[in-house]
Amino acid sequence: MTLIAFVLSVMAGTGSLAYGYSLKGLTDPVRWFVLLGIVWILSHWRKYYWVSTLAFFLTLLGAAFGVWFRFITFWMLLGALGGLLGWDLSDFGMRLSYAAPTDDIQGMERRHLERAGIVALLGLGLALISLYIHIERLPFEIAVGLVLLAALGLTRLVWGLRRY
Amino acid sequence: MMYLLILAGIVTVYGDFITLALPLAVYLLAGYLFSAEEIKLEATRHLSLERTSPNSEVTVTVTVRNHGSHLAELLLEDNLPADLSIRFGHTRHLIQLAKDSSYTFTYRVAGPRGGYGFESVRARINDPLRVTSREVQLEAKGQLFVFPPVTRLRHVAIRPRRTRVYAGLIPARVGGTGTEFYGVREYHPGDPPRAINWRASAHEEDVLYSNEFQQERVADVGIILDGRLLTNEFAHGHSLFEYSVQAAAALADALLSQGNRVGLLVYAAYLRWTIPGYGKIQREKILFSLAHARAGGSNVFADLEHLPTRLFPSESQIILVSPLHENDLNPLVQLRARGYQVLVVCPNPVKFELSYLSKNRNVKLAARVIQMERTLLLQNMRRAGIQILDWDVAEPFDLVVKRRLSHPPAWLRAVGTIGL
Repeated sequence: MTLIAFVLSVMAGTGSLAYGYSLKGLTDPVRWFVLLGIVWILSHWRKYYWVSTLAFFLTLLGAAFGVWFRFITFWMLLGALGGLLGWDLSDFGMRLSYAAPTDDIQGMERRHLERAGIVALLGLGLALISLYIHIERLPFEIAVGLVLLAALGLTRLVWGLRRY
Repeated sequence: MMYLLILAGIVTVYGDFITLALPLAVYLLAGYLFSAEEIKLEATRHLSLERTSPNSEVTVTVTVRNHGSHLAELLLEDNLPADLSIRFGHTRHLIQLAKDSSYTFTYRVAGPRGGYGFESVRARINDPLRVTSREVQLEAKGQLFVFPPVTRLRHVAIRPRRTRVYAGLIPARVGGTGTEFYGVREYHPGDPPRAINWRASAHEEDVLYSNEFQQERVADVGIILDGRLLTNEFAHGHSLFEYSVQAAAALADALLSQGNRVGLLVYAAYLRWTIPGYGKIQREKILFSLAHARAGGSNVFADLEHLPTRLFPSESQIILVSPLHENDLNPLVQLRARGYQVLVVCPNPVKFELSYLSKNRNVKLAARVIQMERTLLLQNMRRAGIQILDWDVAEPFDLVVKRRLSHPPAWLRAVGTIGL
């Protein structure tokens, strides 16, 4: 179950990036992203889990690069999200390899996929909202202030929920 | 990376970077949110046996209780002592553990001779997304002793010069009550009529003679287990040490069963001395010491010159279990000269090596030469009054002992009779 989800995430992530880059007519990066996806899946199969971290970093770098050059943000966002899920599931697969055959592996897989799915949907939802809601003429200082306020609010929220 | 993206968004006043960072932020936030607030785990361990024999299976049961908050992902790994192997089950488990609940896992292990200490269980606690991770060692102590196999020996005939005052099975070279004929003496009032030796008494008119039997007492026995690498270790990792340990265990068991006072000295990289004692407790102590005995090398104890003879009571029985080295002759002769009765149980290294070497011409020739040297060494020892039990380890030790040690050799019996 985790393996299928991992493969789908990697394919979705690297595929989105490749598609986003191809829309701008860049063919070489497309090949590199496809190759990255294949290497990522193969290295996971060969249990070289450290490759996952590197591949996740490269997908984020690719997405950031695409955003910087004004490629379609949606595909870059999907690429980053696919990379995040691929890295998470690869790491979870590694942790599952420590489990004994008698452990409730299926139950753990189901719970993890549910949680990761919810987190991914939430992240994607928030990101999409931020893509389509634009506040015109927002001064830079206010933006910084809002970010700091958000960070503070989130921190307090986490502390409050943890106490609860 | 997330912070870099946010920073890039702020610096470039380009919101899409922050958009890209949002899923990562949600991921991190979820990880922190669901991480365990209080980690309070407790582990207990139970072993089905604490003393066992080599390669016998022992069931280890580990229970982990969670007195803290709910743990979504808990990786438990029991730290298994080296040399123990798992025969059934697993030492590592990935579970989720609710608050105030417990998890129990069992596995079966087996191992070679030795003493094994279980110390702790490693617990790694991850939040569901492994944003946070903590590792704790849960103390769960346990001890397992794998004693060497003890071959039952029916009787080991020894004849030390000096015995102790308590009644036992060792001929004491002193007349009195016993089973073995010792001599004839003049009749004393109070001697039972059946003790009168009528044949001897018939030679004289006025004197009656009584038979006297040899008193049987317990003796002091010091067993020296030679653990020097020089004598025990051979090519390709083969070792005679396990056989030596088995012989020492069997002899200690038999001699203690006879009521003797037995001590053990392991002579290897360092000296391990078990103070002499009697009975079952001493048997346990000796087996405990043998369980921990390891062959080892050191410059100090490379030969038997540094054998601490003061540990053994004078004129007592010393049993050396050793494959022997050519330099061991002089120290053993010196022991004999000091009045100790010396028995050398000698696992035969030549036959042992031949058992796994290819039987080509060169090997056979080398074996003949070494065997001749060894025969010469053993002959010199016998000449010095040292009793030798040359043991081909392919043969069961109890059979060899039954054949060679159930009665003292004729020359030793003769020495005993004249009361040396």
